[in-house]
Amino acid sequence: MIKDITFGQYYQTDSPIHRLDPRIKLVLLVLMIVFLFLAGNAWSLIFCGVMLFAAMLVSRVPFKMYLKNMKPILIIVIFTSIINLFYTDTGVTLVDWWIIHITAGGVYRALFMAFRIAQLILLSSVLTYTTTPNDLTDGIERLLSPLRFIGLRGAVHTLAMMMTIALRFIPTLVDETDKIMNAQKARGADLESGKLFERIRALIPILIPLLISSIRRAYELAEAMECRCYNGGVGRKRMKQMKLKLRDYIAAFLCLAVSAGVLLINLLPNIPYVD
Amino acid sequence: MTPILEVKNLTYTYGGNSPFVNDAVSNVSFSVKSGEIIGIIGHTGSGKSTLVQQLNGLLKPTDGSVLFEGKDIWENPKEIRKIRSQIGLVFQYPEYQLFEDTVFADIAFGPKNMGLSGEELEKRVYEICELIGIKEEYLEKSPFDLSGGEKRRVAIAGVMAMRPQVIIFDEPIAGLDPKGRSDVLKMIKDYLTAYNATVIIISHNMEDMALIADRLIVMNDGKLVAFDDTDKVFLNPQMLRSIGLNVPIVTRVFEQLKAKGYNVPNNIFTVQSAVEYLMKLKREGEHRD
Repeated sequence: MIKDITFGQYYQTDSPIHRLDPRIKLVLLVLMIVFLFLAGNAWSLIFCGVMLFAAMLVSRVPFKMYLKNMKPILIIVIFTSIINLFYTDTGVTLVDWWIIHITAGGVYRALFMAFRIAQLILLSSVLTYTTTPNDLTDGIERLLSPLRFIGLRGAVHTLAMMMTIALRFIPTLVDETDKIMNAQKARGADLESGKLFERIRALIPILIPLLISSIRRAYELAEAMECRCYNGGVGRKRMKQMKLKLRDYIAAFLCLAVSAGVLLINLLPNIPYVD
Repeated sequence: MTPILEVKNLTYTYGGNSPFVNDAVSNVSFSVKSGEIIGIIGHTGSGKSTLVQQLNGLLKPTDGSVLFEGKDIWENPKEIRKIRSQIGLVFQYPEYQLFEDTVFADIAFGPKNMGLSGEELEKRVYEICELIGIKEEYLEKSPFDLSGGEKRRVAIAGVMAMRPQVIIFDEPIAGLDPKGRSDVLKMIKDYLTAYNATVIIISHNMEDMALIADRLIVMNDGKLVAFDDTDKVFLNPQMLRSIGLNVPIVTRVFEQLKAKGYNVPNNIFTVQSAVEYLMKLKREGEHRD
């Protein structure tokens, strides 16, 4: 059951987006998020949605995977929509009964917000599905590397290394948790029933061995790294050199075009009856 | 007499209805008599661990059934925890599951989960410690202060203290030094004789299997390839080699001797029996002189 937790949700396939440089992907994600928020009327938001849909198609990741990502965020989407539905007071009044007062503006805001949050999640999913966690941390490290000019060189590398190691060990720890849970169950531990307090207590036989083995692993890893002369990234070169290629420039150009499109469409009048 | 443990057409499928369906165990049947030591051999990924986790109800079989004393262990799913105290399972590297602050508390964890308390609980712990040789002064120590071999011993005691009628060991001697290995094997035998228990052992070590197991189950690719007396299984080295296993080293030595033209038997599986055979030869030679 615990194995169902997925993390670092890279989806293995080959697509133009998979092949992009992770740095470019990160920068473009930020750019597109900014313009998603700059999209001020229904038309420009729809335009963003269409472009996002195109990107999702190009990524060759099944839509089922994207939908799976939407599930945990659904509750937030619904919540914000409801708040917006009842607390916006612009445009034509649709319902006015007792304390309930719904306007066309409210419906519009609710849908607009829901659509925007959904796009936000899907947009980030495009990045995480098409980039391995390691590429992602590499990309972050490279993007942060200008910080070395203010004396933070070591810190950037250490941070990136920590992220890489943490990501690498998540499946290992999940595996370990599974094993320890089974071992304690074989000794009659009851993990499934009882009151809240009893259930929390029942976690102790799992958490303590897990903690101890994590510390042991950390020591072992540190020793293995030292044996291979790891000294914190000073003078270290990469096996995979990142170099921007033509496709990266094309991607950047396309995203800039979308940004310009959003600004232009923002000039159009919004749909009627909502303001 | 009904067998203490009977496995009928056991199948376990990983992956449910995803495209990565994989039969980890397929259509395995065997039965175990009370008081036997059964060895399970097979290379990594042959389904040994998946098989034994179904024997005590940690995994629910996709198909087939496990009968304990003639009754299906899943007959009443609410009682499955009781089954787990009757069919004990010692995992690989059991020392990693220690968590209490004293050795005593850790050994008592299993019996406590069975509902024992007070004097009865204490008696259980002391009894098992005496049987397998954990000194009383150890009981107040922290389990994390012990050496690797001692930790293993305490962890095994933790399962034995529940006094299961069937006890399953998954690679009980992996990662131990020779002394630790013979200690653990002795513990297993002592437990067997003291409580007339039944033992199932998974191991990669053919030498130890030859020493301790009455019968062997040979697994390959989730299927049961052979289930026979240990001697008979080791008399068929071709079959073992074809699935990536082998006979004990001393048997291989005798095979080599035979290949060199010496007339030696092929049923020597333990160092002990090899020594006896060679000593007999030596005596006969001295007589001839």
